[in-house]
Amino acid sequence: MTQSVLALISLLAPGVLLFYAAYALMVHTGRAMRLSITAQVPAVVGLIISLISIALIYIYGEIVSPLLGWNGLGFSIRLDMLSVLIMTMITILGLVIMRYSENYMDGDPRKNVFMARLAVTIASVELLVLSNNLFQLLTFWIITSICLHYLLVFYRHRPQAVAAARKKFIVARVGDLSLFIAVILLYSSFGTGDFTIIFAEVGASNGLSFSVALATILMVTAALLKSAQFPTHGWLIEVVETPTPVSALLHAGLLNAGPFLMVRFGYLLSESTTSSVMLVVIGGFTALIASIIFMTQPSIKVSLGYSSVAHMGFSLLLSGLGLYAAAILHIVAHSFYKGHAFLSSGSIVDAARTKGIISSKRLGHPILIMFSIVASIVIFVTSSYLLGFNLNDNFSLLFVCAVIIMGLSQFMVQIIDSQNSGILLASIALVSVAVSFSFLGLEHLAGVMLVNQIPDAIIPHMAIKISAVILFVAFATVIVIQLIAPGLKKTALAYRLGIHLRNGLYANVLFDRVIGSLKPEKFKWANLNVKEEVDTMPHRTGEEEVSTLLKRAEVLVNN
Amino acid sequence: MITAESPITRTQVSGVLDSGSRFIAPLWSLENFVAVNSYMGMADMTFEEAMSFLQKSANVNGTLPIDFYKEVLKKGIIKSSDVVKAMEENSLDMAIEDDKLFEQLLNAEDTETETKPQTFADIASLYSEKKWNRFMVDRISFWAAAYFDELQAMWQTSARDNSIFTAWKQEAEIDLSPEATGLKGFRKYIASLPDHYLDAVALALDELEVPGEMMDFYLNGLLMKMNGWAGFAARLDWEAGLNNTESHALQEFLAIMIVWDAAIKKLLNEAELDQHWDRHKNDTLELLDINKADDSLVNRLVLQKAYDLAHQRSIIRQINKQESKPGPEKAKPKVQAAFCIDVRSEVFRRNFEAVDSEIETIGFAGFFGFPINYMPLAKESGRNQCPVLINSSHTVREKIEDAAAHEKAVNGRLRKNQFSKAMKAFKKGAISCFGFVSPLGIYFLPKLLTDSFGLTRPVDHPDNFGLTKSQVKQKGVELTHNSETINSGIALKDRVKMGYSALKGMSLTEDFASIVLIAGHGSTTTNNPHATGLDCGACGGNSGEANARVAAAILNNPAVRAGIKDLGIEIPESTLFVAGLHDTTTDILSLFETDSFFKKPSHQKELEDLKYSLSLAGEKTRMERSRRMNMKSADVNSEIINRSKDWSQVRPEWGLAGCSSFIVAPRERTSNLNLGGKSFLHNYSWQKDKDFIVLELIMTAPMVVTSWINLQYYASTVDNKTFGSGNKTLHNVVGGVGVLEGFAGDLRTGLPMQSVNDGMKFQHNPLRLKVFIEAPVDQMSKILERNEGIRNLCDNQWIFLYAINDEGKVAYRYVGDLQWEMI
Repeated sequence: MTQSVLALISLLAPGVLLFYAAYALMVHTGRAMRLSITAQVPAVVGLIISLISIALIYIYGEIVSPLLGWNGLGFSIRLDMLSVLIMTMITILGLVIMRYSENYMDGDPRKNVFMARLAVTIASVELLVLSNNLFQLLTFWIITSICLHYLLVFYRHRPQAVAAARKKFIVARVGDLSLFIAVILLYSSFGTGDFTIIFAEVGASNGLSFSVALATILMVTAALLKSAQFPTHGWLIEVVETPTPVSALLHAGLLNAGPFLMVRFGYLLSESTTSSVMLVVIGGFTALIASIIFMTQPSIKVSLGYSSVAHMGFSLLLSGLGLYAAAILHIVAHSFYKGHAFLSSGSIVDAARTKGIISSKRLGHPILIMFSIVASIVIFVTSSYLLGFNLNDNFSLLFVCAVIIMGLSQFMVQIIDSQNSGILLASIALVSVAVSFSFLGLEHLAGVMLVNQIPDAIIPHMAIKISAVILFVAFATVIVIQLIAPGLKKTALAYRLGIHLRNGLYANVLFDRVIGSLKPEKFKWANLNVKEEVDTMPHRTGEEEVSTLLKRAEVLVNN
Repeated sequence: MITAESPITRTQVSGVLDSGSRFIAPLWSLENFVAVNSYMGMADMTFEEAMSFLQKSANVNGTLPIDFYKEVLKKGIIKSSDVVKAMEENSLDMAIEDDKLFEQLLNAEDTETETKPQTFADIASLYSEKKWNRFMVDRISFWAAAYFDELQAMWQTSARDNSIFTAWKQEAEIDLSPEATGLKGFRKYIASLPDHYLDAVALALDELEVPGEMMDFYLNGLLMKMNGWAGFAARLDWEAGLNNTESHALQEFLAIMIVWDAAIKKLLNEAELDQHWDRHKNDTLELLDINKADDSLVNRLVLQKAYDLAHQRSIIRQINKQESKPGPEKAKPKVQAAFCIDVRSEVFRRNFEAVDSEIETIGFAGFFGFPINYMPLAKESGRNQCPVLINSSHTVREKIEDAAAHEKAVNGRLRKNQFSKAMKAFKKGAISCFGFVSPLGIYFLPKLLTDSFGLTRPVDHPDNFGLTKSQVKQKGVELTHNSETINSGIALKDRVKMGYSALKGMSLTEDFASIVLIAGHGSTTTNNPHATGLDCGACGGNSGEANARVAAAILNNPAVRAGIKDLGIEIPESTLFVAGLHDTTTDILSLFETDSFFKKPSHQKELEDLKYSLSLAGEKTRMERSRRMNMKSADVNSEIINRSKDWSQVRPEWGLAGCSSFIVAPRERTSNLNLGGKSFLHNYSWQKDKDFIVLELIMTAPMVVTSWINLQYYASTVDNKTFGSGNKTLHNVVGGVGVLEGFAGDLRTGLPMQSVNDGMKFQHNPLRLKVFIEAPVDQMSKILERNEGIRNLCDNQWIFLYAINDEGKVAYRYVGDLQWEMI
C-alpha cells in the first residue's frame, strides 16, 4: 500500500504546472502582481519528479496508485518503464520549451496566457501518459486535444490558423468518439477500467472477443487520427500559424500519443490482425508518401511538419509489426530530434550562408552506387553479428533493419559515388558502424527496459507479412531512385509528379474546401471563425514627457 | 483601355508594366539582408502625396494611428507652433480650419478605415463568401517559394531553368489546386494563354478591361499585395542593372498576378461580380478625378509633420546650445579610430572617447571605401562587401598566412562540407530519414540541452564553418594581385588610389596618430533569421571585418604609402593601422592581432593600452544600452553577452532602431553631445575638400543609404503588415532566402515587429531623417541641382536637410527648390 501511495508523487509534476498556469492567468487578468516565478521552476520540478519516478520503479518495479473513482473507472496512476520513459521525455521537452518561450514571447501582451496554456497542455499530456485507467486515458486524451486547440488559435485573427483549427477540430472529434466507444466496449467486456486487470485477462485468454477486437480497431483509428496520418494531416502542417514553441511541443510531444496508445495496448494489438494490418498499411503508406513530400517543401517549418507526419507513420507501422520497443525508441529519438529542429529553425539561414563552398558532385556511377549498397549491408550485418543479434528468425526486426540499411546506403553513396578523399571515406564508414551499433544497442536496451510492458515478440500473421513485403518493395524502390537520381534524366513525368507531391497530393486543399478555409465566418458555433485583428503592437511612444526631461535637466544642473 | 480593335505592341505592354511596378522596392535575401527604402520608387512625389496614393491604391498606412500623435501632443513634445507650421507646409488639401485646429486635432478620431478593394480578386472576396484574394496570394507565394528556393527542398520540383513567367505557366497547367478549390477550368485557361508574358498580359488586361487612367493605380494595388516576392524579383533586376545585363523579373512577376486576377474573373464568371467590378472601376476613376486625400489621413499627416518639426526643433537646440568657441586646441591624439557611420557606433565612440581624452574617433561608411568582393576560404564565389548601390571592384580572397596551414584549413572545410551534405541526404531523404532518426535522434538530447542553456550554437557560425578555433584566429586577407588563377587581389596602383580616397573621404589627411584603428562592425546573434540585418549595411549586409582588414593592410604597406605621399598625403612611418571588429550585440571590440603588421614591437605598449581602453568603453556602452533593454538581472555585462548566445532571444540588440538624424561635420561639433545612439555620424571638413568632390560623394551615397535605413524603419513602424515582417515568433524561413509569417501568405519584407517595438512602446519613433551638413549652402545646392535623385528626396521631404555654419550652429534649413531658410 505504501508503495502504491508513492506513485502519487508523480502527480506533483502536472500539479506544479497547473499551479503555475493558474498563477500566470491571474497575473494576466490583473488579479496578481507581476509573475515572479519563472516558467522554468515548474519545469525543473517536473524533471526532478520524473527522475524520482525512475528511481521508484528501479526499487519497487511497476507501481500502481489506488483508484480514485467508482466501479473500476476513475483516476489512477501507473508508474512503469513505459509511462516513466515517456514522462521523462515530456518533462525534458517541457523544460526546454518553457525556457525557450520565456524570452521568445517576451513583449507579447498575452504572453502569460500563452505560458499558462503551454503549462496546462504539458500537464495534461503527463496525466495521459501516467494513466492506469480507461476513464483517465479518455479524459486526458480529450483534454490534450482541447488544450492544443487553444494553443493553435493563440492568434485568432489569423485565417490560416483558424482553418487549421477547424480541420483539427473535426479530426480530433472523430478520434475522441472512436476512443470513447472503444472505452465503453472495453469496460463492458472487462467490467473494469483498470489496465493491469485488462492486460492480465487478455494475456490469460485465447484471442479477443468480438467487442474487444472492435475496441482495438477503434483505438487504432483514434491513434491514426491523433498522429495526423494521411490524408488527415493537413492541420498539422499548418500549426506553424502559432508560435514556434507550440510546434516544438506538438511535434515532439503531443503527436506521440498515437504510437504511445498502441504500445500501451500492445497486448490487445498483438491479438488483432486487422488492427495490425491497418497500422502497417496506413502508417506505412503515410511514412512513404510524407517522407517524399517532405523533400519537396520549400519552407522549413512546413517541411518539418511533413517529416513529423512521416515519422509518426513509421512508429505506427512499427507497432503494427509488433516492434513495440522499436516504436518507442523511434518516438523518443524523433522527439528530441524534432524538438531541436523546430526550436532552431531560424538557424537555417546560417546554413544558407555556407553555401557556395566547393563540393564534388555525385558521379552517378552504377558500380559505385552498387558498392555503397553492398557496403551498407556488410557493415550493418557484421555489426549485428558482432553484437550477437540473430536477425533470421525475426521477420519484423529484419524489416526495420532493412530500413536502417537503406538509410545507410543513402548516406554512404553521397561520399562513395563522388570524388573524395580517403579520410572522408574512412569517416563515413566509421559513422555507419556507429549508426549500426547505436541502432542495435538502443533497440536492445528499449526491449529490455520495456520487457514487462509489451507482449513478447510473436511471428506476425501472414496478412501483416504480405503488407510488410509490399511496403518493403515500395521503400526500396524509393531508395533506389534516390541513389541513382544523379543519373536520371529529368522527365516530364517526374516534373508533373513533383508538382503534385509538393502540393501534398491535394489532400489538404480538398480538406480546406470541405471546411471552407476561405470563408472566415463559417463555424461560428464552434468558436472557429476568424476574429478581427487586434494590433499587438502598443502604439505608445518611447519619448518621455517634456516636463520629466526638464526635471531631469534641473537635477543635473543642480548637481 | 486595351481593346481588341487596337492591338497593342509588346513595347507598350512592357511600358505599362514598368510604370505600374515602379513603386516596388527591391528586397534582399536573408543571407545579406540590407535595409532598403520601402518607398523607393516614390521619391518624385511629396511625402504626403505618396502616402495618400499608397492608402488609396493599396490600403497602406502612411502614419501611425492618431492616438499615437495625440499622446505626443499631450506629453508636450509637439507644440502648437509645430502644428501651425506643419499645416502651412502641408502639400495636401486640409479640411480643418486654422482657429479650431488644436481642439479638432485633439478630438479627432481615426475613422474606421475599411479595406477598400483594389483587384478583381478583392471584389470577388467582398461579394462572395470566399476570400479569393488570399487564395491567389497563397498560391503564387507557394509557387514562388519553390522557384526561388536556394536550399530547403532536397528535391527541386520547380522549373527553375526557365524564366519566371514561363516556369509559372508551365506549373499552373499541371497544378490541380485551383480547380480543387473551385476555379473550374483554371489549367485550361492558363494553357490557352500565349507563352510570352507580354502577350499574356495583353490578353488578361483585355479580360479585366482596366481603363488606362487607372492602370498604375490598379497595378500598384495588385502588386502591393505581394510586395515581398515582387521585391525579391525587383532585386534580381537591380543586380542585373549593376552588372549591365537584361532582366525582367519584376515585369514577369507582375504578369503572373495580372493573369491570376483575370483568371478569377473569367472562371468565376458571375454577372453580379462583373457588375461590381465595373462599378468599382467607375468609383475609382471618380476618386482619381477628385484627387483628394482622405481627411483622417490628412490630419495624421499634419501631425506627423508636426512631430518631425518638433524633433527638428529639439535636435537643433541640442546642437546649437553648445559653446560656440572651439575648445582649447586638443593635443595630437594618440589613437585615431575610424568607425562606421552606423548609429550604434555613436554610443561606442562617445564612451570610447570618454575613457581617454587622447582618443579621437572618426565616422565613415563602414566599408571604408574598399568595395571588395570577398571570397571566404574554400568558396567558389565571393560576396559583395560594399553598399548595394554600387558593384564591387576587386576580388579579395580570405587566406591564412602560412601556406600549409591554409591548405589544411581549406581541406578541413571542404571535408566538413562534404560530410554535412551526406548527413543532410541521410537525414532528409525519403525513407532514409527513418534510418537516421531511430539510431541517431536520441543524440539530439544533449544538443537540445546545451543549445537551450546557450553553451552551444545550433549551427556553426557560417564564418567559422569547418574551421578550428585557431584557424579562425589566423584568417587574413590576400591582397596580392594574381591574375593567373582567378582574377583576385588588388594591383598596387589601385591600392594607392583606394587608400588615398579613403583617407580623403574621412578627412584624415594630416596629424596622423601613432595608431589608427579601423573598426568594422558586425553582430552576434543566435538562431536569428534576420541576423545579417544587424550586420554592416555599408558592407552589403555582411560583417565589416574583411573591409577593415583590407583597409589596414593596404594603408600599412610602404609601397602604398609612398604612392599616397606622391598624391599629397604623408603618413608618418610611426603610424600603424590596426583592423578591428566592433560587435554591436555585445559591444566587444576585438583587434585582429594575427595580422602580420600587428607584431610591430614599437607599438606593443600602445596596443595594450588601446585594448584596455576598448574593454572599458565596451563596458560603459553596455551599461548605457541596457537602459533600452528589459534587463532581468543586475549583471548587465553577462546578460547582454548571454543574449547574443540565446537561441530564443527575439531582441538581442536594438539594431538601428531610433535612427533619426545624420550629422556630417568635424567630430568637434558632436563630441560633446549625447545623441543617444540615434544619429549617424560622418566626419567631414569642407575646408579640406577642394572641388567638393567628397561632399558630393557623401550626399549621393551615405546620405541616400541612411535615408533608406531611416525610411525602412519608418515604414516597418507605421505599417508593419505591408512593409514589415510581422511577428518573429511565427517566422517560417522559406527557401533559405526570406520569411513567411506562418504557413502561407506573401514573403515578408522589412523589419519584424519585435525590432521596432518592445511590447510596451515603440523603440523606433516614426521620424524622418534630419541631415545636418557643415558645408556652404551654395555648394550643396549645386550638388542637389546636379543629382535629381537626392534633390527629390530633399524637395519632397523624405529627408530634411540643414546646413551648419562655421561656428558649428545649425543655421539654414533647406526648404526645397534649391532654396534655404535661415533658422
